[in-house]
Amino acid sequence: MNAAGPNELRAEVFEKDLCIGCGACVSLCPYFKNYNGKTAMLFPCTQEEGRCFAYCPKVEVDLDAVSRNMYGEPYSMDPIGRYRSVMKSRAGKMVTRADFQAGGTVTALMTYALAANKIDAAVLTGRDGLLPIPAVVTEPNAVAGFASSKYTSAPTLAAFNQAVREGRRNLGLVLTPCQALALAQMRANPMKQKEFVDPVSFVAGLFCTWALDYRSLRDFLVEKTDIKKIQKFDIPPPPAGVMEVYTESGKIDIPIDEIRKRVPNSCDYCFDMTAEFTDVSVGVFEDSTAWNTLVIRTERGQAMVDGAVKDGYLEIGEMPEENLAHLKLAAGNKKKRALERGRGQGMVKTAKEGGRAAIRIDGDIAGMA
Amino acid sequence: MSYLFDEEKGARYLLMGNDAIVRGALEAGVSVASAYPGTPSSEIIENLSKASDKRNIYVEWSVNEKVALEVAFAASIAGLRSICAMKQNGVNVASDFLLHVALSGSRGGIVLVHCDDPGALSSINEGESRHFAKMIELPLLEPGDFQEALEMTRWAFELSEELGLLVMLRSVTRLSHASGNVRIGSLPGTDKTACFKYDAVPGDQASGPVVTMPVPPHHEALQRKLKKAVALFEKSPFNTYTGPEKPELLIVTCSACNLYSREAVRLLGAENRVGILKVGTTWPLPPDLIRKNLSRTDTILFVEEVLPFLEENVKILAAEMAKDIGVKTFHGKNDSTIPMTGEMTPDLVVDAIKRILKIDYAPMPETFRNKAREIAAKMAPVRDLTFCPGCPHRASFWNLHNALEIDNRRGFVCGDIGCYTLGLLPCGFSTSKTSHSMGSGIGIASGFGKLTRFGMDQPILAVCGDSTFFHAALPALVNAIHNKSDVIFVLLDNSGTAMTGFQPHPGTETDAMGGNVPPMDPAALCRSLGATVQYADPFDVDATQAILLRLMEEKGARVLIMQQMCALSPEKKGKKKYRVSVDQEKCIGDRCGCSRLCTRVFRCPGLVWDADKGAAVIDEVICAGCGVCASICPAGAIVREEAV
Repeated sequence: MNAAGPNELRAEVFEKDLCIGCGACVSLCPYFKNYNGKTAMLFPCTQEEGRCFAYCPKVEVDLDAVSRNMYGEPYSMDPIGRYRSVMKSRAGKMVTRADFQAGGTVTALMTYALAANKIDAAVLTGRDGLLPIPAVVTEPNAVAGFASSKYTSAPTLAAFNQAVREGRRNLGLVLTPCQALALAQMRANPMKQKEFVDPVSFVAGLFCTWALDYRSLRDFLVEKTDIKKIQKFDIPPPPAGVMEVYTESGKIDIPIDEIRKRVPNSCDYCFDMTAEFTDVSVGVFEDSTAWNTLVIRTERGQAMVDGAVKDGYLEIGEMPEENLAHLKLAAGNKKKRALERGRGQGMVKTAKEGGRAAIRIDGDIAGMA
Repeated sequence: MSYLFDEEKGARYLLMGNDAIVRGALEAGVSVASAYPGTPSSEIIENLSKASDKRNIYVEWSVNEKVALEVAFAASIAGLRSICAMKQNGVNVASDFLLHVALSGSRGGIVLVHCDDPGALSSINEGESRHFAKMIELPLLEPGDFQEALEMTRWAFELSEELGLLVMLRSVTRLSHASGNVRIGSLPGTDKTACFKYDAVPGDQASGPVVTMPVPPHHEALQRKLKKAVALFEKSPFNTYTGPEKPELLIVTCSACNLYSREAVRLLGAENRVGILKVGTTWPLPPDLIRKNLSRTDTILFVEEVLPFLEENVKILAAEMAKDIGVKTFHGKNDSTIPMTGEMTPDLVVDAIKRILKIDYAPMPETFRNKAREIAAKMAPVRDLTFCPGCPHRASFWNLHNALEIDNRRGFVCGDIGCYTLGLLPCGFSTSKTSHSMGSGIGIASGFGKLTRFGMDQPILAVCGDSTFFHAALPALVNAIHNKSDVIFVLLDNSGTAMTGFQPHPGTETDAMGGNVPPMDPAALCRSLGATVQYADPFDVDATQAILLRLMEEKGARVLIMQQMCALSPEKKGKKKYRVSVDQEKCIGDRCGCSRLCTRVFRCPGLVWDADKGAAVIDEVICAGCGVCASICPAGAIVREEAV
């Protein structure tokens, strides 16, 4: 009942500066292109209902429907979404050391998935300087080259759409929360396409508090360093208050306030820190950069982790209660802020409320927000 | 036998107004002809070029109208007769020189033919060029039919020599491009010699240096010449009156409106009630002629095109003569009896006369008119202005539009004058956002490119064709480069002055007479000015868009030359590069994933939507075989094969 088409997408998302450039609407048709982290609509389209609108994670997302399709249950108000277990993890001895952001869990899982033929190809995100560039990878050894966080929003789903158009199936993906939400909608086949087959076999999500606008960050950093030679970014936990930019000639600290100015408007409305609609989600581990936090959400996520551990790609350990509590606090804060803001601006609604919404939840939004 | 060479005096030809002007110039023994092409004037020089050999005429397509007039003027002061042709706004370009020509005077007969385009049928303005005659103080003639176009042109050279002054001769689209019967005169010999004499003292009109200083005596001399023109105009056979001695209504008209007025009076059967004063010498006006004719009646209607030039000048005289001729009631443009804009038609004149004389006349019953409108609305297909099938400009604007949208910073294109002016319409994906005079696209862009200090961060592009580049874009480009303006100048090089009929320009290898001339290389010119220059083939859409996107990330003045020959170019000889077809099974049509991109958005006339099959088809008759549509089809349903 809330389905619409590209022109509404333009009005509700692009013109309200809510597009995060995830690429969900790109490579489905000739009208949407992503460039330098931004998605543009080239011409008006005549479709009254379109996949672009149906897949977009920023407009008319029915969280209960997405959740039911994925977990068989309505949306959970747990701060980190639905999950089976949470543990700590890191890359095992079967994984070549690379420039991991932390423990290398994502690299480990995707390398294993390809090596063990659990997936045929992985849709990953690399970068050229600061510009994130999605790619389809089939060689297990190539996965490590895509390690480390990108910090700028990426059109990873455009590469996914392109891969599906080219006939690829049995795909694994590494996605940020917004991308994962879009993918979860795609997998529900909202346009009821007869020929639809779910091409996704495994999704690893990344914890995310916000992304950065590529152009804005580039124009800022280009004054300070050769952006082509940036090796890694990191935001150490408080009270550091900086973003660390590692280059060939050393580390530059950028005050976090300078960085926050470059967070897209869209991230202010994001309720999801832990990529709730994935098979597993991975983020930093509070006590040690050598480990990750690993949230296992689905059965096949569990199977992938078990297989990776068994074959020596992944090591796991117990997650201390205190760490989990901290994680939930942080994720809950993000969720609460975003839902309050969205609710206040009429963007968060129940299924029955009229008008256009960004997201709909039938649970106790009022209590949550 | 061509009317250009026929020696038989009195022979009759069906000639376009522009041809009649050509024949008039030939009969006057013109030796030099120059112009910059511009509808509706282009055929004058084009046809004179055909007589270049046999009639011993130097014919030139000049770089712009000002230089064209300078070239013609040199012939005049070297003792030859010369003609220079241009469209209405060309006079604006030439006007600075024209001002000085009036003051310095001329020697051999020199005639400036300026063709106005009422209704802007082939222009992006509805400029009135007659005011230059009054403003710059030059005599102005306006032929009232095709025969007069010939005779008046011939006489204009004599008049010019008698006055020692350039003569302006104004035509309009419907005179220049319509045809009528013309009786030709005889052709003079072709043996001429040129010599510029400058040995006498300055101010010696016949053999001194030709200058405008000291100004006051030159200006006085100019006004004496105009007084002499008035005296000649009082007796001119080109000013005629037809009608009863004392009509109820006097129409004062000129140019093609003479024909509309005559037709209107005849349609109304009002020959005994309406008189027509057709003025051929419209500046300076001969007052005695005006006095005599205004005295016939108290109700006057002015019928003319573009601005009320004749109307206002006659009114000034009438005010001066009011003591003698009494108070008149004037109708015309100023009281809205005649529309202030657009082309005149016999119907509009009929309407005006009807209202003034209260004649009951219905050219067409209302029911018939409504039915005709209804049927036309229902059955006539919508015909937008568009580019030809296979036109490189469609591909160029596709690339420009897409790159600007993908870049996503509200960048835009400043348009210019040529077929590509249509870049502001849907056929050019509404990519151009400004459109003014020739060369002003890059001029405006040069200004935009300096607004970064005020927070303007939109990418600025300007387009311009290869002919317009030489005409007036060069100084603006120099300005942009010199002032470090952040602009991308896109030269749409289609190898000719395509819109007006492939006239040569400084970038081509031939001149107006078919001779070999050294072509100027715009790329080398731009590089020598200090701009970076790149090339793109607009038919290679991906590569061209990638180049544009890259250029938009850079600063300073950047030049991109999009090179692809005009689809109608005689050099292409109608040959197709590709045979194009649609695999209708693959065609997504109007479903999600395409929404008829090719027939709804790209809209080359060679692509047709087959609603029954729900797929696109190629109209093989008009498809030019450029193959661009195959590059834009999202389903790979449009297939192109190299044509053998």
